[in-house]
Amino acid sequence: MKQLIDISKELFESKQVGYIIGYAEDKFKRVKPFVAYSSLDTERFVFNNNSVNNLAVYLTRLPKAKEGKIGIVAKGCDIKSIIALIQENQIKRDDVIIIGVNCNSVVNQIDEQFSKENTAIKCKYCQVRTPAHYDYLVGEIKEVELPEDKNFAIMQKLDSMSAEEKWNFWEAEFEKCVKCYACRQVCPLCYCEQCIVDKSMPRWIDSSATTKGNFAWNMIRAFHLSGRCIGCNECERACPAEIPLSLLNRKMGMVAINEFNYRHGTDINQPTLIGNYNVNDKEDFIM
Amino acid sequence: MNTYVLSKDHLKNLALELINTGYKVISPSKDGRRFVAISSADDLVINSNLKPSSVSMKEFFFPKTETLFFYKRNKDEYDLIDAAEVNQPQIIFGAKPCDTSAIPIVSKVFNWDYKDEFFNKKVENTIIVGLACKFADENCFCTSVGLSPVSEKGSDLFMIPLTENTYACKVISEKGKKFVSNHSKIFTETIDGKSININEIKIPEKRFESKEVKAWLDKNFNHKLWDKLGENCLGCAQCAFVCPTCHCFDIVDEECNHTCGRRAKNWDACQFEIFTKHASGHNPRNEQDKRYRQRISHKFKYYTEKFDEILCTGCGRCTRGCPVLTDIGIILEDINQLAKESISNN
Repeated sequence: MKQLIDISKELFESKQVGYIIGYAEDKFKRVKPFVAYSSLDTERFVFNNNSVNNLAVYLTRLPKAKEGKIGIVAKGCDIKSIIALIQENQIKRDDVIIIGVNCNSVVNQIDEQFSKENTAIKCKYCQVRTPAHYDYLVGEIKEVELPEDKNFAIMQKLDSMSAEEKWNFWEAEFEKCVKCYACRQVCPLCYCEQCIVDKSMPRWIDSSATTKGNFAWNMIRAFHLSGRCIGCNECERACPAEIPLSLLNRKMGMVAINEFNYRHGTDINQPTLIGNYNVNDKEDFIM
Repeated sequence: MNTYVLSKDHLKNLALELINTGYKVISPSKDGRRFVAISSADDLVINSNLKPSSVSMKEFFFPKTETLFFYKRNKDEYDLIDAAEVNQPQIIFGAKPCDTSAIPIVSKVFNWDYKDEFFNKKVENTIIVGLACKFADENCFCTSVGLSPVSEKGSDLFMIPLTENTYACKVISEKGKKFVSNHSKIFTETIDGKSININEIKIPEKRFESKEVKAWLDKNFNHKLWDKLGENCLGCAQCAFVCPTCHCFDIVDEECNHTCGRRAKNWDACQFEIFTKHASGHNPRNEQDKRYRQRISHKFKYYTEKFDEILCTGCGRCTRGCPVLTDIGIILEDINQLAKESISNN
């Protein structure tokens, strides 16, 4: 922690940053996002297994710093979304200072003690416990026991289903959707100034939480994130209806890897999958 | 009114009888995370120690989407067709005081200048069986909004655990009394209501004085506190949609096909940017801090002024589910602290 606070203080004292987005504890010792505006504020910074939030979402939500750059404390998975935002021209690399953190995985249920069973599924297949890209790196890697990747088995099962069975599975899941759009609001890559569901002249998607409206919303979001979602799973964590959104996003991500050998958010100089035309791209899936 | 003794077997038999006679029987789900309509009496969950469900039971009175009427194009005119009337009786078991009390609170707004027949009909058709609550975590604050783990507000019948397998069931309303007399085979054994020991139920300490909070809100429409709150909030509607008392809705027309459609009443929330966006593009609540101020002010100031009720039951759902853990309880404590400081400064 001292390392994190020392670096943050140095960034303020050398006037390199206007603010730093990090994590702090509240009076009940719960870890939540916290924006430090001064060297003094940084003393509240913490990082531990409860630092679940992907703070990259704030990079496009908060106003630009009046002076200096924006500092951000980020795990390896979250840094992928920062790189994705740079690849998609939403922020410039020079505008942010990334304080990468070696991560020993995070909790699944925030109100329960961290344990092997209570570890976020995404940590199971994490390849960036030590971030791949950063300006500063803090923390130490420890050996951690990881839970079974239950979702992978579900994905394989879904793959083997008929179209009708898949429809029934997702109909039952989407039925629970209340259209609170928490999935969209926590997503660092859902940064559209006006979301298609909010467009009312004309209305493209039913705003009602009916089967039709819920399918339209959840499928549109999955399509918009295809080849873009970096798998932070914040949408699934935020969903009050407990819809397993990561199954959809991870599946689309695997298609991008398997069909186009593309992983979003790994290289700031790489053109994006959807935003780039390559004559060698496969087209056998078209007809 | 009488108080009866019910065993778990009595309750199961009652649930079975109700399912068989066409009632929609609603209970917390097995994992306690939501309220569900059950089709087997074995799925009935009565447990005072449960954490409040992550989503409240309001959808059984105020569904997330509800058809008001259908329309059909008939040459150059439109025919209006009433939505099917829902007359199914329903009964809710295992509802905590922070769930049941929400019904009379929001009934006031649904019966203010216009009587919302959709809401009223469902309330009329529902028997609410409250259950004393033995759960309390750092997110709960029912005692700060004038309620308690044994509040009977909003219940037709109210149950208090006596032993592991038995409950005292108090009759609270006339509707409850009628229900009991219709099921007299189950409701047989009575006890003296005054003899029930509720000392075992821990009453959480008050965390803030709602009157002082309101007095501060009256004078601090502009305050730096709001800037800080808006900063973390991501502007989703999780808080409003899991809340038992949030009741804002949007009215939309949706096409079924090019000749017909439906008009629907859908949940809406003040935390959405488009909630107050005018057709001109102007938005009086254009920033998240203004929207968060609205959430607090509506619950603890405007509603209190208009309806003499606090629009919050202290259930803590909004905090538990918030993706960034914005804690309304801590915020109200902070406001109360500011209120105390401003009193002592004057």
